[in-house]
Order: sequence, then C-alpha cells, then structure tokens
Amino acid sequence: MTDITAAPVRKGLSEDWRAILTGSVASISITFIAVIAIGWFWVGPKFLSFGNVSIMGTFLIVPLIVGAFSGFALLSGVVDLSIGSMVAFSSALFALLISLGWDPATTAVVTLVACLCFGGINAIAIVGFGAEPIAATLGMLVALRGIAWVLLGSQGTIFAFNIDMFNLISLQLFGLPLFFLVAIALTVVAALIVTRTRAGRHVQAVGGDDKAAARAGISVRGVRVAALLLSSFGAGLGGIVYAAQLGSAARATGFGLEFQVYAALMIGGYSILRGGVGNPIGGALGLLAVAGVSNILDLKAISPYYVNIIVGLLLLAAVLLDRIRGGDAYE
Amino acid sequence: MLRNTTRAFAVMALSVPAVLGLGGIAEAQDKFKLGMAVGGNTCCEWMKAQGDVARALAEKEGWDYVELSNNNDPATALKNAQIFVQEGAKAVIQFNGQAASNPAISAVMKQAGIPIVTYDIADPGMYFVGIDNLAAGIAGGEGLGKIVKEKWDCNPDLVVSAEGAGAGIVNEWRTGGMRTGLGNICPDIPKEKYVSFESQGDAAVGLPAARDLLAAHPDAKKIAVVGLNDGGVLALINAAEQLGRADDVIGWGQDGAFITGDNVNPHLVGSVFYFLEGYAVYAIRDVIKPIAEGKIPPLKADAGDPASKVQPCPVTAEQAKAVPDMAERVKQLLAAPAGTTEYDLFCPNKG
Repeated sequence: MTDITAAPVRKGLSEDWRAILTGSVASISITFIAVIAIGWFWVGPKFLSFGNVSIMGTFLIVPLIVGAFSGFALLSGVVDLSIGSMVAFSSALFALLISLGWDPATTAVVTLVACLCFGGINAIAIVGFGAEPIAATLGMLVALRGIAWVLLGSQGTIFAFNIDMFNLISLQLFGLPLFFLVAIALTVVAALIVTRTRAGRHVQAVGGDDKAAARAGISVRGVRVAALLLSSFGAGLGGIVYAAQLGSAARATGFGLEFQVYAALMIGGYSILRGGVGNPIGGALGLLAVAGVSNILDLKAISPYYVNIIVGLLLLAAVLLDRIRGGDAYE
Repeated sequence: MLRNTTRAFAVMALSVPAVLGLGGIAEAQDKFKLGMAVGGNTCCEWMKAQGDVARALAEKEGWDYVELSNNNDPATALKNAQIFVQEGAKAVIQFNGQAASNPAISAVMKQAGIPIVTYDIADPGMYFVGIDNLAAGIAGGEGLGKIVKEKWDCNPDLVVSAEGAGAGIVNEWRTGGMRTGLGNICPDIPKEKYVSFESQGDAAVGLPAARDLLAAHPDAKKIAVVGLNDGGVLALINAAEQLGRADDVIGWGQDGAFITGDNVNPHLVGSVFYFLEGYAVYAIRDVIKPIAEGKIPPLKADAGDPASKVQPCPVTAEQAKAVPDMAERVKQLLAAPAGTTEYDLFCPNKG
C-alpha cells in the first residue's frame, strides 16, 4: 500500500518563479543582468569597456561606501536620514581643514571623529530617549546641512584641490578604479558580517523583532548604537572621498544622496521601515543597476530626467516584490 | 542565504570580465567632435537652449556633437568630463553652475589634452567665455538708479540685494556692481538702507528668505531690488506680492531670463540681457573653430581677459518688449551669418 501523502510534491511552475523572484538578491541580480544586457545590445560593446565601467565605478565609490555602512542601520530597524547631510558636512570639514594646510591623514581622522560624534547624537536621541528614527535623523539632516553651509562660508564652496589626493583617488587596478574595488570589497565584507557572523545575526534579529531579540539576550540598545555609529562613519568616509574626487566641497555636495542610496538599497531588497531584511550585496547591485541605467541614457544622449522615472518604476517593482515575498510576515 | 548570494555574484563576476575586453575597440575618429555639457538646472530654459544652439552650430560646421547634462551637480559634471574623454571629444564646452568640480574637470581634461571652454564661471585651466560681470552689474545698477531717481527722487526705503553666494565672485561682481551703479546715480542713499538675502539665484528657492527679509523690515514700502539674476530679483518681488506689499517694489535683474515674453512681472522694470542661449556663437567663433582648424588659441582663462567677451545689454522692460522671445531669437540667430551674435541682432542699446 502506498501512502500518497508521503510522495514528493512537485512544485508548480508558478512556485518556481516565485522562488526565483523572492530570493534575497535574486530579483536584483536579474535586474542587474537585464541592465547589462540592455546596455550591451543598445549601446554596444562600449557599454562594458573598461573605460566606461571605470567611469561608472568612479562615481559609485561614495554611494557604495555609504550604502554598505548605512545598511547596518536599516537592518537593525533604524533608518538614518542624515547620511546625505553627513556626507556634505564631512566633505566641507575635510576641505576646510585641507585648505588651511592640514595634513590629509590627520584631517581624515578628525573628520571621521566629528562624524562619529554626530552619529552619537543620533544614537542618544533614538536609543537613549526613544525618539522616532525618522524624526531624529530628519532633524540631524537639517542641522548638518546648516553646519555644512556655515563651514562653506559665503562663497558656498571651498576649493581644496590637491593633485596627490586626486591621483590617489583615481588610481586604477586591472583597468578599474582602485577605490571602486575597495568599495566592492567593503560590501562583500559587510555581507559576510551580516550573513556569517553572530554580530550580523544579532543585527538582523534586532531589526526583525527587537522584543524577541531582547528576550534572547541580545543587547538591542548596543546593536542600534553601533549601527548608527557605523552609518555616520560610512557617510563621513563618503564625504572625504567626495572632497578628494572633486577637489572641493560645495553646498550641492551630498544633496539628495540619502534618497539615491536608500532607493537603491530598497531596489536591492532592503526595507526602510522594517528592519532585519536585506543584504549588502543586494544593495550594491541596486546601486550598480541604477548607475547602469543612468550610463545607458548618458551614452544614448537621452535626458537624465528619465533616470528618475526608471528608478521610480524599479522602486515600485521592489515594493511589489516585497509584498510577494511576505512583507510584514517577516516580523 | 550567502550561498545563493555568492552564486549570483560569482556568475556576474565571471561574465562581466569576459565581455569587458570586447569594448575596448576604438572607433575611427576622423571628424572633429565637440562635447557640450549643459548646466541641467531645471530653473532656466536657457540652459537647455545653450545645448540646442551649440548642436546646431556644430552640425553647420559638419562636426560630430555629443551633449550631456551636468544636472546641476558637481559630481555629475566631473563624470561627464570623463565621458567626453571616452567619447573622443576634441574640444568641450561647459556651463557648470556648480563650479566646485572645475579644478578636477580641468585636471581630467588637461591629462587627456582636450581644451575646454567654460561659460561665465572662470577656472584657470579653461578658456573663459562670458559676460563682463562687473560691467553688467554697473550698467544694470545705473539703469535702476535712473528709475529710482525719477520715481522716488533717490529716496527708497530699502535697497535689497538678491544674492547667490554659490556663484562666488560672479555674484559679488554682479550684485556689487549693481549697488555701485545705483550709487553712481543716487550717491546719497544711506548705507543702512542696503540689505541682502540669499536667493540662490532662483525665484522659488529664494522665496522664504525674501519673505523673512520683508518681515524684518515691516515699514519699508519703496523697495528697490537688485540681484545676481532675474530669478533672484523675482524671489523678492513674489514675496512682496504674497505679503501684499508689492505696490512700490521695483527690481532690475541680470541675465534677461525673465524680461521677455507674455508674462513679464510688472515690478521687474529692467534687466541686462546676456543672451545666454547664444553663447556658443562666441565659443565656437573664437575658440572651438580655430582649434578644429589646428590653430589653437592661447589659453585665456581670466574673466578680466577672456577668450571671448560677451557684451552686456541693459534694457528697460519697455525696451525688452521689442526683443523676441528666446525661441524666436534662437531661430533668427541660427539663420544669421556665422559669427553673428544675439547682441548684434537684438540689443536695442548697443554701447
């Protein structure tokens, strides 16, 4: 006698597709490959030439670094809206001190410490006083933008072009920008931490359900403080890279970066309002996909305003996928 | 989760380098190619028109042309410079409203051996094509001064300057020049009547700061406004209209962006036309064409000694009515003999 209930159940085709689309980085991987394919067929081999990839890579360094670090805050369930202004503040302080003749290494350390102090204020407000992360970091966004403008003075720009720093930031390895490869490596390290270490699992647990995490003996406050400090550190690093790349800091520096980064992270599988979801590699692929779309439009001389439409549509698709793969069922 | 992630990433990591090398095939580049980076600020129609004119003139010369938008962002402007290098441009024109990235753009272009023209905002490594900002400021200030003298006997309650600090020295030349020009006609206006606000050169962006300024001077009625550009001056005028205090507000702008057409604000009594959309005539006539012909002109990067100087054209709102709108001006400019400027065609007050 055969027990039919014990027979292996063949998954339906729709379930297979659902599994492909709902993996943590599967959907963004498909999107990324689609962007490469479109670029290849529409623009031609030039799209994937070392020169072109190098140009894209150069301008992804800052978003990749900022995304890799701020992703920890998202995973732990606290969104840090101040990252764009933190980049502006960091670049302004770095450029100001360089223009005053400070040594670049010392300046970088001082700048990062200053950014960590502001990250600490975010942490005190959110973790210490239980403030809403969006409200607290929105306040910091406005305050830091103001501080950056004060540092930039009435001219609104500090020129600190240093050919040695520019050459350093422009170094190439295997035909690609060295710091782009460093940013990719940072992303991979972040992914390993998130998926392979106890600390990473703690971050995800805190973001997924902070009460359950606390019952399991995880220091929810400690994890969130660390995540917010990491977020500000990454933004500080991004500001320094910006100042070195551009040879200056200006009022427009970092403006809207928080939306660029978070849109890409959401496309890559993160959730802004729900912690515990996302993978740094998915976030990086989100940034690469958006940069690829932007580059295709550049090379085909199409208005860059279309990038916003495409990013918006990708975001809507990401939200839909989020619902398909369970949405709030994660909590 | 990481295993799937690693697989997906590995497939991409293996597939991308496999095709990377195929893209390195250089295309034959016989024709002269001009690159143009437009400002990309949605504030102003003329930014797009600068590209349209450059494209039409390049096509007339039989050159290839590639246009990118700086999107009003310094990082994008630098990225565009690198794309021009990759695309094999032989010369580049840019309007970079966010001049913070100019030193880096200069370095990229110098390394690639590509000459670059910059409009209105000077950089030591770029050919300067633009207005004499100080002269334009003084001319505008004197134009406003004549009206202030006639209307208020040189006794306004307030002289407001709509600044745009982001433009750096250009802002100081224009707004400072306008105050100087006003002072030339009305030398006895007390210093304490001169006040300023940060308009960022944009009517909408500058509106809150303009409202604050008016709130801080509740008794001021006769208000004369100068500014970095027409947009900045309109910020104050619009704020005064919102507060019901615009009856005795008169403004004189710079750049002529909002002094023509059907919807000119009646309180904007004059401006200084630069005919910004037609700058490519100067750049191509005096810099790009000689380069294309192998006669590279000496680098003139200083706004005081430019590669090509754009003449300012101060006009009252009444005179501006005789000046066609931008679309018509561009049409007539492109139909005119090579090298003819919009100043030649349209300025009613040629100096």
